Amino acid sequence: MMSILLKVENVQTHIGQYHILQGVSFEAKEGQVSVLLGRNGAGKTTTLKTIMGLTPATSGTIHFQDKEITKQATHHIASSGIGYVPEDQGIFGALTVEENLKVAMRKEDDAALARQEYVLELFPDLKKYWKKDGGHLSGGQKQMLSMARAFINDSKLLLIDEPSKGLAPVVIEKVMEAIVEMKKQTTIILVEQNFIMASRIGDTYTLIDDGETVRSGQMSELVQNEELKRQYLGIG
Amino acid sequence: MELIINLLINGLATGMLIFLLAAGLTLIFGLMDVLNFAHGGLFAWGAFSGVWFYGLTNSFTIAIIGAILTGAVLGFITEKIIIKPVYGNHIQQILITLGFMIVLSEMLKVVFGPNQIAAKTPPLLSGSWEIGDVIIIKYRLFIIVVGFLVFGVFQFILKRTKIGLIVRAGVMNKEMVQALGINIKQVFLYVFMVGAALAALGGALMAPYSGVVYAEMGMEFAILAFIVVVIGGMGSFPGSLLAAILVGLAGSFMAYYVPALSLAVNMMLMAIVLIFRPQGLFTAKG
Amino acid sequence: MKNKFQVNNAILLVLVAALAVFPFVSDSRTWTILLTQIFIFSILAMSYDLLLGYTGIVSFGHAMFFGMGAYATAIMLNRLEPTLSVFFLSIAVGMVIAGVISFLIGLLTLRLKSHFFAMLTLAVSGLFLVLAEKWRTLTHGNDGFTFRAPEFFKDRMMFYLLVLACLVLVYFFLRRFVHSPLGRVLIAVRENEQRTKSLGFQTLHYKVIASVVAGVVASLAGSLYAISLRFVNTSVLTMDITLDALLMTIIGGVGTLIGPIIGAGVIELAQHYLSGLAKEHPIFERWIIFFGIIYILAVIFFPKGILGTIQYAFWKQKNKIPKVDVAAPSRKELTK
Repeated sequence: MMSILLKVENVQTHIGQYHILQGVSFEAKEGQVSVLLGRNGAGKTTTLKTIMGLTPATSGTIHFQDKEITKQATHHIASSGIGYVPEDQGIFGALTVEENLKVAMRKEDDAALARQEYVLELFPDLKKYWKKDGGHLSGGQKQMLSMARAFINDSKLLLIDEPSKGLAPVVIEKVMEAIVEMKKQTTIILVEQNFIMASRIGDTYTLIDDGETVRSGQMSELVQNEELKRQYLGIG
Repeated sequence: MELIINLLINGLATGMLIFLLAAGLTLIFGLMDVLNFAHGGLFAWGAFSGVWFYGLTNSFTIAIIGAILTGAVLGFITEKIIIKPVYGNHIQQILITLGFMIVLSEMLKVVFGPNQIAAKTPPLLSGSWEIGDVIIIKYRLFIIVVGFLVFGVFQFILKRTKIGLIVRAGVMNKEMVQALGINIKQVFLYVFMVGAALAALGGALMAPYSGVVYAEMGMEFAILAFIVVVIGGMGSFPGSLLAAILVGLAGSFMAYYVPALSLAVNMMLMAIVLIFRPQGLFTAKG
Repeated sequence: MKNKFQVNNAILLVLVAALAVFPFVSDSRTWTILLTQIFIFSILAMSYDLLLGYTGIVSFGHAMFFGMGAYATAIMLNRLEPTLSVFFLSIAVGMVIAGVISFLIGLLTLRLKSHFFAMLTLAVSGLFLVLAEKWRTLTHGNDGFTFRAPEFFKDRMMFYLLVLACLVLVYFFLRRFVHSPLGRVLIAVRENEQRTKSLGFQTLHYKVIASVVAGVVASLAGSLYAISLRFVNTSVLTMDITLDALLMTIIGGVGTLIGPIIGAGVIELAQHYLSGLAKEHPIFERWIIFFGIIYILAVIFFPKGILGTIQYAFWKQKNKIPKVDVAAPSRKELTK
């Protein structure tokens, strides 16, 4: 039986004077890939940021492992076991690949080093450019570094924001493989515009439109629902 | 030749003092996005407390340590009371730190009296060496050595330690650092305290160099430090060293050759940099 | 609304009239001098608030414009002849210089972000201070020089009335200015510069205009200040003058014109009385420390200043009333 790892209930978020999220609800089950879908500006990125506490929710609740994290500080949320891969990857440009990972590592114990080994196997490029500045990596390498960095802390949940953005198809393929591989060890919430990619690796989907959840369900069901795809994703 | 060497040493020594002030300023700005107009006040407090501890204990080592601690404690208070309520609001920050500058320098007059106080050079560092025709004043050389030492130690911390990595990462992207589970507010506080301690160290070293301490010295040096931070690039630690040396040398050579322009040159340099290259000559962001 | 405006104006008029007859009924020289001083600094503080309160610009170089006016008047009265016409000419010259300089500085620096601008103005006014200190043939540096004021001002009262007239004129001029469409744009810049820009306003132009007006008015204050002392030295260009303007504006009330006047009154009176108390306890010699602390508290807790906070309290009370009024009839309707 898969338990619910993260539960977002009727979350509203204001940024400045703008009411961005106007009621987002969904669940992420353990060991699954939950995909947030929706048009540009629908509020997917803000949803991830709100979970991380970067743009705190003004109302509604977020539970992670049955504990409420809605009002917690970002660093508490992160250390309770959520890794974040932002849309712009958030690589520290003047730090080397090694240093980028080191900053993230909260404890430098054997387990962490083992996980580092694991991500380096997953992304051999990172090992190759170990001493290279993060700012000098290619877009795909940055994406991999960001994912590796989020994973290195025994994160129970990874929030990955549009990993395919701006990448060449070959690289997208690599990133996808990595996500599928990581899924064996952790739970993932993915924001993805590329529906083909999303449908191939996603288990469940949540459709967000104008800052509101429209519908959630099994990915397989959405793949067949041409009407829904046309209306909210502009495809099909 | 000896003239040039002497001017060089003078310039370097002054540059190092400015560097100690500017280093904290630049790190605080880079990391916290706060321009601390009260930083000069911490420098002046370092100078006064250094002189006071020296008079009390007759040990220059204790005087320096005392000044550094004074700076760190004041830094703690400043961050908690003055800076914390106004994170993110630039105008309020500018206003409040300037207000605190007034309070700090008036408090100096309350505690130590309104007149300037003479500062002695410790005997071990007094006098000078003669090498051929060149006379090298020991204390100035001492300042230069301390300056480079501080730079080396901090460069090591920034490059090689975990906390240094976090600070550098924070300068580049605060949000991401938090999202990695690091309490950046705590880091802010430490950096602020260290910056204040460095300023106080600069003040304590300045005292025997200039021979007197007075409350206004804070603002005078702070202006030089601002110039350095702008020229060196906000948030760039090595940039602040290079710019401080540049400003120190320009000041010392100009004071000899074109005294009327000595302060003006630095300000014009800063104005030009701000107008044409507002990010400074060196940048911290990758 | 119209009514309230008229009441306010009437109160102002009565106040001004009372101040105008004051020297005729009281022969306290101290008070006349003190009030003159307050009026002069009120003009300076209002000009500063045009930047800080209305446009949201923090300048640390306001003293340079004050100093320009002071030096223009002092030098011209000293070099030419101490007559009224030279005096008025010197005010005009000071204003023109201040206007041109603030225009140039504004054009170059107002595009910078707030702390860079603050720092740059600090440096530029520092440059003017150095210039005044080094150009001794013109300024006599830090020693300064005394000069003869026009015969007309021998009578302190006449000068008092002139300064009061200037204050009133500047007040009404600035009130017109901030209520003009241009002034509205400045407030929009303060609230959200990016948005004002995206509405199609060249915000830089507006900011430059504000800084020119502020500079010109500050120069007038400087001219009057020089006459009041019949002496000038480089202290008119120092940071202290800017700090005074800043304290007065913040403590009195940012974003109003009456606020800085109140601030100037409070600070000048406090300076007068508290430094008098220094005989009792030396801490009062450091009276500025109290204001530094009040200032800090004001920035954190009352960013609107004395006046703004009172106004806000009134506004809140007023706005409660209509809510009750709206609720009342609906209840009546229900009972019907």
